[in-house]
Amino acid sequence: VRRAVAALAAAAAVAIAAAPARAEDKPEYQHMRFLEHGDVLTMSTEPPGGIGKLFDAAAYDALGTGIRSTVVIRIQVTPRDSNDPVVEQLIERSVVYDVWDENYKLQLEERGGITKLQVKFHADALKWLTAIDDLPVAPLNLLPPNKVFVLRLVVELNPVSKETLAEVRRWLSQGGSGGLDRGGTFFGSFVSVFYNPKIAEADRVLRIYSQPFYRPQS
Amino acid sequence: MWGRLTFLLAALVIARPALADPPEPVQPAPVEPAQPPVEPAQLPPADAPPGPDDDMPDDVGGLERGDPDAVLHEDNEFGPLILIERVDITGNTATQAEIIRRALPLSPGDVLHSSDRRLRDARFKVLALGFFRDVSLAIHKGSVRGQVVIEVHVVERGTLVLNRLWFGSTDLTRWWAGADVGERNLLGLGIAVGGGFIYAHHGDFGGARDQYAAELRASVSSVRSSRWGTSWAATLVHGSEPFRATCDDVPATQMQPQCAFDYRRLGVRIGATYDVSALTRLSFGVRAEAIDANLPAAPIRDVGGVPVAVDLHLDPGASRVVTASVGFDRDTRPDPILPHAGNRFAVSAELGSTFFGGSYDYATIFGSFEQYWPIAGDHHALAVKLAGGVVVGDAPRFDRIHIADVDHMLTPRALGLVLSTAAPLSILGTRADKPMYGDLGGSATVEYVFQLFRGSGKKAVYGGDVFVGAGVWGLAERSDLRARDAGLFASLPIDVYLDAGLRLDTDIGVFELAIANALGRLR
Repeated sequence: VRRAVAALAAAAAVAIAAAPARAEDKPEYQHMRFLEHGDVLTMSTEPPGGIGKLFDAAAYDALGTGIRSTVVIRIQVTPRDSNDPVVEQLIERSVVYDVWDENYKLQLEERGGITKLQVKFHADALKWLTAIDDLPVAPLNLLPPNKVFVLRLVVELNPVSKETLAEVRRWLSQGGSGGLDRGGTFFGSFVSVFYNPKIAEADRVLRIYSQPFYRPQS
Repeated sequence: MWGRLTFLLAALVIARPALADPPEPVQPAPVEPAQPPVEPAQLPPADAPPGPDDDMPDDVGGLERGDPDAVLHEDNEFGPLILIERVDITGNTATQAEIIRRALPLSPGDVLHSSDRRLRDARFKVLALGFFRDVSLAIHKGSVRGQVVIEVHVVERGTLVLNRLWFGSTDLTRWWAGADVGERNLLGLGIAVGGGFIYAHHGDFGGARDQYAAELRASVSSVRSSRWGTSWAATLVHGSEPFRATCDDVPATQMQPQCAFDYRRLGVRIGATYDVSALTRLSFGVRAEAIDANLPAAPIRDVGGVPVAVDLHLDPGASRVVTASVGFDRDTRPDPILPHAGNRFAVSAELGSTFFGGSYDYATIFGSFEQYWPIAGDHHALAVKLAGGVVVGDAPRFDRIHIADVDHMLTPRALGLVLSTAAPLSILGTRADKPMYGDLGGSATVEYVFQLFRGSGKKAVYGGDVFVGAGVWGLAERSDLRARDAGLFASLPIDVYLDAGLRLDTDIGVFELAIANALGRLR
């Protein structure tokens, strides 16, 4: 038992050493601009913030490959002291490069409908994918005055469905063992050493939260 | 020591910063005062680039109360219609291009939108082969306007796999060591080959001898890009099987086996698989095995002063096992290494018969089901795991359920070799003389999983989970269930087990470090 505990403690030490990886999951604070426009609340990101960092050089170059790139933005407004959203919205923006017309075809989809447009330049395609400017985020009647809220964004580049992930990694769970340890297939666990590239749930994920805000009593 | 372990795990939990919750925010800021209604932004004409001050479309009609199940319309297609003129494969040095082409969900002559889902899925279909570190696609102009060339660029990776490592020391086996390795892409042909070997040096145990076992395997997961796959395996076991009986003048009054007999197994398995869907697979197999067992003439046990014949579930001398089997496997867990959601269901039935030319008439059914539920966000999960089997008829000893199959705190069999005779820990105080082999057995486990950390894939360690589980296991000969000489609880062939440990997903493989597993190497 002593050896078992020692082994586990060593493993825990490995896990702690790897803990910096958690930083990639950490939500990032950004100051945002909130405005009341009519009966809705709109939000804009402010420089140097925004979601542009979703695209590194490789992802930026990939916009011109002719293969669809998709940005999915999940917007939640939650009370400051709760994780339950008062309002949630999903936005999907996609672009494909037309190799023959040499322009970028964009599709911007939110619950209000789908907008299609095309732009000529690589940088403009990126701008349309990442711009968050006066974006309607909540009807005002869902945000009582003087109650404090926080806006949270989860932004994914080329998210992968759970079914696709399961398919890609299926061979890991099926194992290559033959017939002698048949019982182990049903009762046992497994350990395996191999070159194991990670297939992430998205090419890149950003988690952002805003400063707390409230609507002053008018 | 347990206290230290608990403290360590608790410290890990406490030290982990909350990821879902933002840190204590700064002072709330008021929303800027209501502005005069703005005119809806003017969309630029379809062919005009946006200027620096262009607004995004200003549509508020879609705002509703939170809907966590909101689903995006994923199949909407846009972009130009293209005709695939050719598919070029680049970057492959070992893997044959044809293997990659067969995995693609598209081919020359297909007409589709450039945003078509098949183009996005193609990357993952190729990655699912398991031969590549990365796959990327690009579209290039073809020879005629509207026609395109699809370039699939792959980055190959090492496909050598260390499947298992066996080592440990027990009373029965002074030491054992072995490994199972495989190559998943032999000569770039998409054929997986592998094999394992284990050697076990016997301990001070009546009739025991050194044991060894070997296995060779080959398989093709998809024959000529069809849903059918095939597999082949050959096995050799030179074993020494412990049993509870009187031998070498040592009366078998204790619960643990006292002596062993020699046997040899030589067998081959041929199988076929059929992928019903991406996550569901059917399997079929036949097995033929020759057994040569050197059994004691009339093994008996002393049970309360009464000699009782022991059934070793083997024919003396030479015998054969010939079986046919069918199996079903469905795995919906998005991450089989660090699962937090989804389930896996597997069931397998095998029929052995003298009609096929064997010496044993029997049937077995084994099944397992695991279900994971995320709780309180993505960082916690609860799992229920059920596994069990039943053996009907005159099954050979090796095809029965071994006690280590169901009690995770015992040394598991390795390539068919029994390496320990340790009795299970008696935690509940139920029946003491639980059988080594049974024809009815199973386990039920409840497991709590805590996500220690996750990386994005750029780190060497992708993720880690701590798990704590407890379960009930049971194993019996059905004949023993018909009568009892003690109270019901004291006669139940069940007990409990506890387990805790760490699962790691790294770029050099996956590891599960568990207390129960460590116990199994030492008892």
